[in-house]
Amino acid sequence: MKKRVVATVLAAMMAVTMMSGCGKAQAKSETKKENYVIGIEQFAEHGSLDNCREGFLKGLAKEGIEEGKNLKVEYKNAAADMGTAGQISDSFVADKVDLICAIATPSAQSAYNAAMDKNIPVVYTAVTDPISAELADKDGNATGNATGTSDKLPVKEQLEMIREMLPDAKKIGIIYTTSEANSVSAIKEYESLVKNYGFTLVKKGISTTADVSLAADDLLSKVDCITNLTDNTVVSSMPTILDKANAKKIPVIGSEIEQVKIGCLAAEGLDYIALGEQTGKMAASVLKGEKKAEDMKFETIKKPGFYVNNKVAKNLGIKVSKKLSKNAVESFDTISESKTAEK
Amino acid sequence: MDLIITILEQGLIYSILALGVYITYKILDFPDLTVDGSFPLGAALSAALITRGVNPYLTLFASFFGGVVAGVCTGLIHVKCKVRDLLSGIIMMTALWTMNLYIAGTSNVPLFSQDSIFKNDFLDKLFPDEMKKYVTLLVILILVIICKIILDHYMNTKSGYLLRAVGDNDIVVTSLAKDQGNVKILGLAIANGLVALSGCIFAQEERVFEISMGTGAIVIGLASVIIGTSIFKKMSFVKTTTAVIIGSIIYKACVAVAIRNFEPQAMKLITAVLFLVILVISMERKAKVK
Repeated sequence: MKKRVVATVLAAMMAVTMMSGCGKAQAKSETKKENYVIGIEQFAEHGSLDNCREGFLKGLAKEGIEEGKNLKVEYKNAAADMGTAGQISDSFVADKVDLICAIATPSAQSAYNAAMDKNIPVVYTAVTDPISAELADKDGNATGNATGTSDKLPVKEQLEMIREMLPDAKKIGIIYTTSEANSVSAIKEYESLVKNYGFTLVKKGISTTADVSLAADDLLSKVDCITNLTDNTVVSSMPTILDKANAKKIPVIGSEIEQVKIGCLAAEGLDYIALGEQTGKMAASVLKGEKKAEDMKFETIKKPGFYVNNKVAKNLGIKVSKKLSKNAVESFDTISESKTAEK
Repeated sequence: MDLIITILEQGLIYSILALGVYITYKILDFPDLTVDGSFPLGAALSAALITRGVNPYLTLFASFFGGVVAGVCTGLIHVKCKVRDLLSGIIMMTALWTMNLYIAGTSNVPLFSQDSIFKNDFLDKLFPDEMKKYVTLLVILILVIICKIILDHYMNTKSGYLLRAVGDNDIVVTSLAKDQGNVKILGLAIANGLVALSGCIFAQEERVFEISMGTGAIVIGLASVIIGTSIFKKMSFVKTTTAVIIGSIIYKACVAVAIRNFEPQAMKLITAVLFLVILVISMERKAKVK
């Protein structure tokens, strides 16, 4: 009796070996010297994260590591599921890729955990707070064989810019997802800084995309303007919020370039493609063996860029001062329907 | 080889969850959605306790107990407040989301620098370096076997028989002068205890608590139970608990195959198709046997 049980288990295991076997052989045969295999794991489908990935590959290419030439990229997406993220990381480790690029905090943590003690460097990006995610220690040094870039918001600069654009505004509203660690830490920073610029903060926590509409209605009745975080849930629902805000003529300030394109008034924020590029360059020096990931401090975007949408400003009847518009890295005169249309 | 170890690790961790789902879904005939909340509950408890310096092994019990409380709540809502089964699960699942945030403090708690049931001084001393790769698997395997044996034994006690009777024919329970409501609550308590235990182990294996980790847990549990029970339907020598455990491993193997060989966007679809294929194949065999 027991034998049959054992036989069944073995048969199942053999089947699995066969299936996994093929994949492994492929990956190995292409690993020659000067040829790199990297695994990119992204936590969810998301405009900003996609931009990170695009920028990352650009950054690598600038350093002479180009996809199709001397680079093989395995791209996997965890569809916002922790279990899947874990399996993806483990499968990269099993494939013995030369480097894992992890996009967004949960993926970074899962890659870090899987690659620990396995001698595979991890380069992460779009991790807002690598310190509280325990990917780096207090001084920014890597805690393991992992480094990368943070997409921490330039909160101070953003507040300065809002004050300058909207001199009469008193109350700033923020919608954020209570379950996103990134947003919670950004909210704390806003809370500690708003007073310095003469604002009061009205925050609205939500749990799912379904709550966005209600939260926006409620918030819009209380505030003079809304500013965005890099909150995944809220950013995905940007059109909903913009629609309601426009109806009430309340300006919405974005946190990155894509949001300004689709109708936010302005943003002192991140360009995720540039952030990805910066990450790609870091990864290149790890791949080439110039530096070790464990010796590299994590980086933040060097200088936030100012983006403004003149069409939105006109619709809202807001004048963008010359000083500001002169500093704009990029200004837009149209509102694009959606991110995909722009691309 | 590494990949097989991963599949076994993940499959076995989720098999404890599947055992819980098996109790509610197959035995009690109760579609219990509490699972999506009690899985991260176990993880939250273990993360909160470990970061406060509690021995990781003790968190296993704490998590199980936390799950039991969640299960009892679902049971009370259903039995005492007469709320429909599906809805009581949804209510608890929703409530647990907030509870988990409170327990863990934030939505993401890394445990990289902490001891865990897989990595501590005791295990480091016990096993030589070349065994390190297998330690995690071994610990999980032991835990799963313990759960399975206890559950098998429990099912053969009087209380266990009553539990099975409630799902099959609740009139029998009433005619034995037992309150079927209490039996249901007991079943839900044990089931969610197991689910939370599984969440606790998962958090320690991934070394991170993330609030969203429970999303879809019920689906994984149900899939494992159904795959396991339909494959081994005609093999009566395989205990249902064993079948469920193997079902969970097969499910994770499907996900691994989908991850490896297909476009990222297609992953969920491929997993669904593999799931369907396994079900259909196992049903065909049943027909042939007849």
